[in-house]
Formats: sequence, C-alpha cells, structure tokens
Amino acid sequence: MVKNGMRNYDCHECSQLNELKVSTQFMNMIAGWHLSGDTIMIEQMPIMGGYVGGVEETAICDVASTLSSFVAFNCDIHLDGPIHIRWGNTTNRQSLQVAAHAAAALDANTDVLLANQYYTLAGPCTEMCFLETAAQAITDTVSGRELLSGVASAKGVSKDRVGGLDARMMGEASSAVCGMSIESINRILDNILYRYEPNYSTAPIGKTFQEIYDLDTILPTAEYLETYDRALNVISSCGLDF
Amino acid sequence: MAIGKYVDVFEAYDRFVNGQKMTEQEWDYTVVPRNAKMLKESYDLNFGHQIIPTDSEMMDRLFMAGMDMLLSTGIFCQDIGRVMNIEEEEIYQGLKMAPRKLTLGTGKEKVTCKPRRGNSLRKPVIIGGPTGAPISESILETAIASYVQEPMVDGIVSGVLNTINGRPAATNSPWEIKATMSEIRHVREATGMAGRPGMCI
Repeated sequence: MVKNGMRNYDCHECSQLNELKVSTQFMNMIAGWHLSGDTIMIEQMPIMGGYVGGVEETAICDVASTLSSFVAFNCDIHLDGPIHIRWGNTTNRQSLQVAAHAAAALDANTDVLLANQYYTLAGPCTEMCFLETAAQAITDTVSGRELLSGVASAKGVSKDRVGGLDARMMGEASSAVCGMSIESINRILDNILYRYEPNYSTAPIGKTFQEIYDLDTILPTAEYLETYDRALNVISSCGLDF
Repeated sequence: MAIGKYVDVFEAYDRFVNGQKMTEQEWDYTVVPRNAKMLKESYDLNFGHQIIPTDSEMMDRLFMAGMDMLLSTGIFCQDIGRVMNIEEEEIYQGLKMAPRKLTLGTGKEKVTCKPRRGNSLRKPVIIGGPTGAPISESILETAIASYVQEPMVDGIVSGVLNTINGRPAATNSPWEIKATMSEIRHVREATGMAGRPGMCI
C-alpha cells in the first residue's frame, strides 16, 4: 500500500479562533486524529491590542486558551503566537511580552508542552528579519518553551518570500541563550529590539526564494549569507555570544 | 470531588450543544474583554517593561487568572452559537492527563520534546519551514530542502500551495485536499532527498 499522507510520527495542526473560540470543523478534525492515535498540535494566536485589550488581558486569554487545548480538546502540544493587531508580527515588544509571561506562568505551574510560532514583519535576506527572529527565539527559549516553529517571514503573506537561513537563526539564537539568566537576557533583548523597532513602518519585504538560493545546488547566495553574518555581528554587539 | 470522566473533544461537543446560547458579537465585544479586564485587576497584574518576567509570584497570579478566565468565561463555539463550561477539578485532571513527553520523527531524525522547566540547558525542538506562507508549486520541494539541510532543524513546518496543477487551491473544494496531499508529498520528498527521511512534518 502506498502511504500518501501524514504518518504517526508527524504532527497534525489545527487552530482555535480568537479569543477562546472554536468551530465544529476544528472539533471534527481533532476527533479523527484523536481516534487514529495521531499527535495533535493546537494553535491559537491571541491578538495583541485587539478587542481583548493590552498585554495583561491578552496574556490572560493566552493562558486560558492554552489550558483549554489540553483539558478539552485532546491536545499534545499547544502552539502559541501572540500577534500584533497593527503590525501583524509576533516579534514586536508587546507580543514577546505576552508570549514570555504566558509561557513562564504555564511552565511554572504545569508540565504541558509549549510551542511558539514566528511571523516577522521584514522579509528574507534582510537584517531586520534575522533580528526579529533572534529576539523571539531568545524570548521563547528563556521563558521555557519546548518547541519553536518558524519562520513566516514578511508576515507569511508574500508568495515565495521564504528561506532556510531564517530557521538557522532561530536555532542558533535559541542555543546561544540556553541556561542564561533572565536579567541578562532582558538587557540583550532590549538592545536587539531598539535596532528594529523604529523600522516597523518601513520594514523591508525582502527577496524571494528564487533570488536568494541557487535552485540547482540549494545553496544560499553570497548576499543572503553576508546578511546573516551581519545580523550575527549586530546581535553579538547587543551582548550575546554565539 | 472526583470527576466521572475526563473531558475530551466529544464531551466538549456535547457541552456546546447543551450550553448557553450567545451571539458571537456579545462574546467578542462584551464577555471576553470584560472578564479579561476584571481579572487583570483582581489578580493585580502589571507586566511593567520586562519582556521576560522575573517576578515568580506574578507568574502564579497570571496562571490563576488564566484558570479563572477559563472557569468563569468558558469557550464559545462559533457555528453552534453556544458556550461550554468546564469545572476546576476537570482542568486539574485534564492537566494531569496532558502529555509530558512527545516523540516526533523516526529513525535518526527522532526527537523528544519534554518539559524544559525554565531556561534549561537543553535547547527547544526546532521546527523549520515557511509556517503557512504561500509558495509556488514549482519551488516548494526545493524551498523545503533549504530548511531540511540546516542541522539545527529537527522537523518541518510546511508552506501552503495556493495553486495545484495551476488551479487555485480553493477552500472547501477537492482542489484544497489535493493541494494539501501534494504539500505532504513534496515535503516528504525534500526530507528524503536531503538524507533526513525520518523527519517529522
């Protein structure tokens, strides 16, 4: 028999709605996966600055949504992603604050598995995209999350604006901060955020995959690699050693 | 008091069907914002300027506020138009039942996800990929391979084909299913061609 679809070591993903809201379609998918013994990742991206309010209110909803995934919907791992109503990214200061506080609160009081996903404002092959990715990877790692999933660069809406080095940055930044103290990390995060926060309204959309990789060898272009190295240097100057 | 049965998706559906009727507008614009604001005040939550919190007492209060939000507000089902509620003991029992360990991938690419408990020296599992961003059919496999070949990456999260065989992958159509199945094939092919066939997707 040819096995076309997902396998039992893969991870099925479906999403709650904003906020504390689901649909029967969501429950139907879960029912099928649950009865098949599949791994279920439930996603919910609280809207920071939406009708719920500010960082504290959004974090309360984030904790409640995460709990509901595990206690009512057969979730194996919850995928967060607080997203800013104005900027549409998960890497702005308020979204990072919501994600960090929700993760820390859940991590301190439960054993549930927590993930977060990445939506940057800037697109691939830009220093800003790498800095945004690093800031979130640092935040997620230090606040105790177990899985990082990304990167949807250029807010995940621009066709073909993707590239593997974004995930490399996510992994490198995460590894670099494992075990470090929160106090020192907060200073580093402030330094990184100051580098890209002023650029939200002029965020570069970046380049397409076809422009930043050789499609035969799947090697990143010199420009993509140089941009990556430049971003590493900036992050190092912000206080983080790779 | 001990609970009779753990809440699962089937029990949740039954509770929605028998739950309190409500409009989606009332839920979105009144119930959720009002309760979140009230709980912020009653649990004295103020994050200040820190991105990552250092105040462990405030983290406990945030956890209790989230619990209280779920208990006092419940969950709304959009197409049933009703609210389900859950009891405190059911939340605690559900959390006890939640997985503490997850194995993803197989063979040499098998990774285990387990609680890190704060900023452990053990790095999180890294799932790389376009995370739902739209990608052309002609490059999906190559684009995914660019993530698979990164040693830091433990598993793949795919992008989305917005066309299949040149047609739009319209929502709620057979073409959407074909596009999804095609994505899985492309991703699997990319992991295999890069020598990591056991990767979780």
